[in-house]
Amino acid sequence: MSTAAEVTDSIIRPPTALLGPEAAARARQRLSQEVPALVDRLPSGDQVVVSLAQLRRLGSDPTPGAGVEDPFAWKPRFVRRSLGLAAIGACLDGRARSPHEAVGPVADRAVDEWERSGWRTFHWEPWFAALGGGARAAVLAESATWATQLWTSLDWRRFRPPPRLGGPDDQWACPAPRTVHLKGRSELRVVVPGDAGSPPGTVLVSVSGGSPRPDCEVELGYLALVAALRSPSRPVPARVVGLWPDTARHVVVDITEEVLDDAGTLVLGGLEAMVSDAATGLGAPADGEPDGHPAGGSTGDRRAVPVRTGAAPG
Amino acid sequence: MAVMETGTHRWEHCAIPASPGGTGPGWGPARTGVVPAATTPVRRSGPIWTPLAGPELLDRLRFTGRPRPVADAERADSLRQFLEEGLEPLGREPGVHEGSVARPPLVVTKARLTEAHSRPGPRAAGDRAPTPAIACGILIGVLFRQLITTGSIGDPVADGFGALAVDDRHADLLAWVGRLPDDQRRALDAEVRRQAEGLVRRWPALDPAWLPRTEEPMRADLAGGAVVLAARVDLAVGRPGLDVASVAVVEVKSGARRGEHRDDLGFYALIEALRHPAPPFAVATYYTRTGELDVEPVSDELLWAAADRTVAGALALAACTPPDGGERRVTGGRTLAGTGRPGEHGTIPG
Repeated sequence: MSTAAEVTDSIIRPPTALLGPEAAARARQRLSQEVPALVDRLPSGDQVVVSLAQLRRLGSDPTPGAGVEDPFAWKPRFVRRSLGLAAIGACLDGRARSPHEAVGPVADRAVDEWERSGWRTFHWEPWFAALGGGARAAVLAESATWATQLWTSLDWRRFRPPPRLGGPDDQWACPAPRTVHLKGRSELRVVVPGDAGSPPGTVLVSVSGGSPRPDCEVELGYLALVAALRSPSRPVPARVVGLWPDTARHVVVDITEEVLDDAGTLVLGGLEAMVSDAATGLGAPADGEPDGHPAGGSTGDRRAVPVRTGAAPG
Repeated sequence: MAVMETGTHRWEHCAIPASPGGTGPGWGPARTGVVPAATTPVRRSGPIWTPLAGPELLDRLRFTGRPRPVADAERADSLRQFLEEGLEPLGREPGVHEGSVARPPLVVTKARLTEAHSRPGPRAAGDRAPTPAIACGILIGVLFRQLITTGSIGDPVADGFGALAVDDRHADLLAWVGRLPDDQRRALDAEVRRQAEGLVRRWPALDPAWLPRTEEPMRADLAGGAVVLAARVDLAVGRPGLDVASVAVVEVKSGARRGEHRDDLGFYALIEALRHPAPPFAVATYYTRTGELDVEPVSDELLWAAADRTVAGALALAACTPPDGGERRVTGGRTLAGTGRPGEHGTIPG
């Protein structure tokens, strides 16, 4: 069990060590060398998208086809992350006393904005706007509960400055004849000061349902790997903290070269399974993106979007 | 009108309508002293019980008459150690990882515990067949969630089915309801409306500072991950992890009071005590059919009784569940037709 104070301590303590850009370059070089051979079996033009959720599915159930998801359709649990994080933002801004109070106004404001300007902050606005009262309430309830679990897992007063909530997924496209996209999603990004004049570091916080798996440290390392690959100019995250509110547990991974290397191995293993699925027809081509919005939208709940192996439409 | 408080009940001495029996399909006879819908009242002298409502309802939940438990790491450790020792026979073989296909975890839920204690012996894996009572319970569950979250319910039937329609775990139940004969469907709708009206009339808005959360998933892993205690509570309020217990848990039931409901509350308290340094200070069952609220203050005795029952039940479940499937599947958290509750029958809540 973890108390809010303990989890917060583990996030804001100064980084133990910071990897330089050369570590990210080595990870990038390794994947750039090894990935093309793995995806060579796919038809030309295919693309592969790797996410933490998919790697977890493959890890928990290595049977063929385990990484393939059902066709996408909006559901309350696909909205809870983006709406829940926005509700927490409202609490941090002093606009609401709790996520329970915030979710309704935040959702209403998003729908109003979409109806007025056509701009979809979260992507789910048109779907949500078309729902009846009961279904809307189900969405709000799911989001409020998710957000309240996160809200009570941390001591938010101790974050100076406040953490960045959500934000765009980290993404890296591996240069290969068949495009491979790695995607990483964190719920919080926290900048923590360094010790005794050392530079500040970035801590990623990932929130998951269920319980941590035995290899969760490697999985958390994947998030740091994608963040490190994303841009040569961005520093490698100092730490990733995984939160499992259902069990009130947390896992801390300080990022070292070994962690990045293990995460790279996880990616390669996952890719091998996905390519194998695609080759046997289990990874059917995706049907395109729901609502026409691009994959990896800025703050949408893309974790649930069909992240599949196989050919891109058309 | 004389009023007297007796524990969770308030009795008012005035005329009492007769209670002729069931009010809908599958609900069984109404409890004495409770006014069923669509009945002809017969006046007679005697006490009539009226459900608590508004602030009184919440006060009943908040003030149990006992000191709230304090955070006690030793208590939590002792409970966990007791459970670990009791469940040791179910632990994994060396080298077998949690969640692996070779040995999925035994998921212990309140429903499975009740089943294990009430009906020992082998049991078939599979879904519980829907009934009107189960459908009513699921609809009232989502309406309660709506009321807590938004503070209102529109048309209970439309809102209830609307909420179920966006949750694919209820697809089978919705299809089943769609096939109900007209008279049964009308009876179902009428009972849902009646119970929802009671909810709206009696449940006040919760202060946001209470941090209300509905359908909160909670779980505890034991025996190296070989056993998972899993629950999803209808309502939890209060901030967890404080030095003094601040969390209360409410379970909503649309049917009649049953003995195992108290055991369910103990199971919730146990999981929460394993998750956080302080257990909940109260666990309660709210009966939407009657408006009764049974509040159980959480004590060490309750927690240890729950731990005993959990170990015995888990061992019984393991003894009669095939190790390579059946109810030990972990196939993605899909709920079962009719229960509406993920994780109650061997799947892990998502």
